[in-house]
Amino acid sequence: MRTAIALLVASLVAASALAQAPRGFTAPTTPWGDPDLQGTWTSDDYIGVPLQRNPQYGNRLYFTDQEIAENEKRRQAQAQNDAQEFAGADARITTGPGAGLVDRGRRPPRQTSLIVDPPDGRMPALTADAMTRRQGIGAGNPNPNPASWEDFSYYIRCITRGVAGSILPVIYGNGQQIVQAPGYVMILQEMVHEARVIPLGNRPHAGAAIRSYMGDARGRWEGNTLVVETTNFLHARTGIGLNGGGTPTSDALTLTERFTRVEPNVIQYELAVDDPKTFARPWKIAFPLTQEPGYQNFEYACHEGNYGMHNQLSAARAEEKK
Amino acid sequence: MTDRSRALAGVVVVAMLAALVWTAAPSSEAQSGAQTGAPRIPRMPDGKPNFTGLWQYIGTANWDIQDHAAAPGPFHQLGAIGAIPAGQGIVEGNEIPYTPAALAKKKENNAKRWELDPEVKCFMPGVPRATYMPFPLQIVQGNRTIGIAYEYATANRVINLVTHQKSQVDSWMGTSNGSWQGDTLVVDVTGFNDLTWFDRAGNHHSEALHVVERYTFRNADVIDYEATIEDPKVFTRPWTIRLPLYRRLEPNAQLLEFKCVEFTEELIYGHLKRK
Repeated sequence: MRTAIALLVASLVAASALAQAPRGFTAPTTPWGDPDLQGTWTSDDYIGVPLQRNPQYGNRLYFTDQEIAENEKRRQAQAQNDAQEFAGADARITTGPGAGLVDRGRRPPRQTSLIVDPPDGRMPALTADAMTRRQGIGAGNPNPNPASWEDFSYYIRCITRGVAGSILPVIYGNGQQIVQAPGYVMILQEMVHEARVIPLGNRPHAGAAIRSYMGDARGRWEGNTLVVETTNFLHARTGIGLNGGGTPTSDALTLTERFTRVEPNVIQYELAVDDPKTFARPWKIAFPLTQEPGYQNFEYACHEGNYGMHNQLSAARAEEKK
Repeated sequence: MTDRSRALAGVVVVAMLAALVWTAAPSSEAQSGAQTGAPRIPRMPDGKPNFTGLWQYIGTANWDIQDHAAAPGPFHQLGAIGAIPAGQGIVEGNEIPYTPAALAKKKENNAKRWELDPEVKCFMPGVPRATYMPFPLQIVQGNRTIGIAYEYATANRVINLVTHQKSQVDSWMGTSNGSWQGDTLVVDVTGFNDLTWFDRAGNHHSEALHVVERYTFRNADVIDYEATIEDPKVFTRPWTIRLPLYRRLEPNAQLLEFKCVEFTEELIYGHLKRK
């Protein structure tokens, strides 16, 4: 029992530490006085951290120091393999795609899951209505014999990954470039070239009939934290998963994001999901975004170069003729 | 309250009111930077013009950047809706100085434009075309970078003001570096591919395209936009386009979403659908 209470206290302290700056750090401000988040940020360090926690960790959000040290050892071994991969006769074959194809974290992740609430790190139960929706996939091909483009995800179709899917860490393209102006924040996301325009202040949301994949965002500052509330989503498109996969959310979805610069090169990011038509209760994701020397967004002309879609449909039709 | 503190309080109130007005920008009663006669325009704290806002061109340049008469559209079923409105061009002198080979290609493009115009397929529009598509664009101007989000196709670009970048790879929207010449924002854009067009009429360029844009306030609600276009593989000399960008003044005006990919899938992949 005492251990349980100690663990509870520890996890509460840890949870409150999530969004608090260490003492002595003063967040920079823009010339017009807003907290300054300008720059390009990436969730690379959390690549591979599962959305939902492996039950073996129970209610434990953070790895122990020993586990972090082991993660770091694995990370370094991977980095060594990456460095050798194309180096010549002694090149080693790695598991998974090579470093030329994917991005890697620069430090070991501290969290056992991206979901921080509920405390067990698991997604809340789905509503009966949500279970009737077609379960979405993010990347990959769910159907080896697709009848049409509609058998693929919105991501593979190069339409969108949704708000959550555009920031959750995946194997590459995690760049988030933040541009600020007096009265506005813009977040440019590399993959599928999203540009979220977030007006600050008390502007009411767009009319209820104006629905979209990326929703209608409004922002405000709470101390040093940028709070973005997004509504007006289309019904049953992308989910709250990697690349927009998972159970598609509903038109009742409200996403509340919090961006807090907690160190010169770290933004703590939190995403609260509230969708009573889809989930039994609201839940939260959190992870850090970091600023890395030399890291930048490139143009991701997804649809313009979507030969994959053409080839997979073409292959499926050819198979049928056999 | 002493006279001095009362005076100070007055200054504070005025400053607060000024801050309120300034925070309310973008709007036409935005802060004035100039003292005499010059138009009142929104400015950044360092005095540079502040182009943040929702802007849109009114005109038919996306149909044809040169002078053109009204013409029927491609589908008679659409009647007047699909027809092409007449328009006065945005090209200085109305002449595009093509090399003979490039002019022939333009004519070929024009003949097949309903098939070949990248806009048909929801491809990114490139620069300067993104500026005069019949959709608004949102400028978000910071002190180190300026973001422009174009409603059409969620196309976007970032203009580097401080850390200029060499283009490392050809792209649809190019690599943009900005600098100030007085109150004019000058944007140098390079690193294009050869896949975008200037309009639906088939005006084209190569990957050697170099665009220099100039954004200057005419007044708080109009930007005079100018772009000089250079491409020695396609044109015999640089040429210039000019157009006004108007601020969208509806109180609730905002950039909306036009993700057009899904409107093109039947067209692009329809022949590969299971029958």
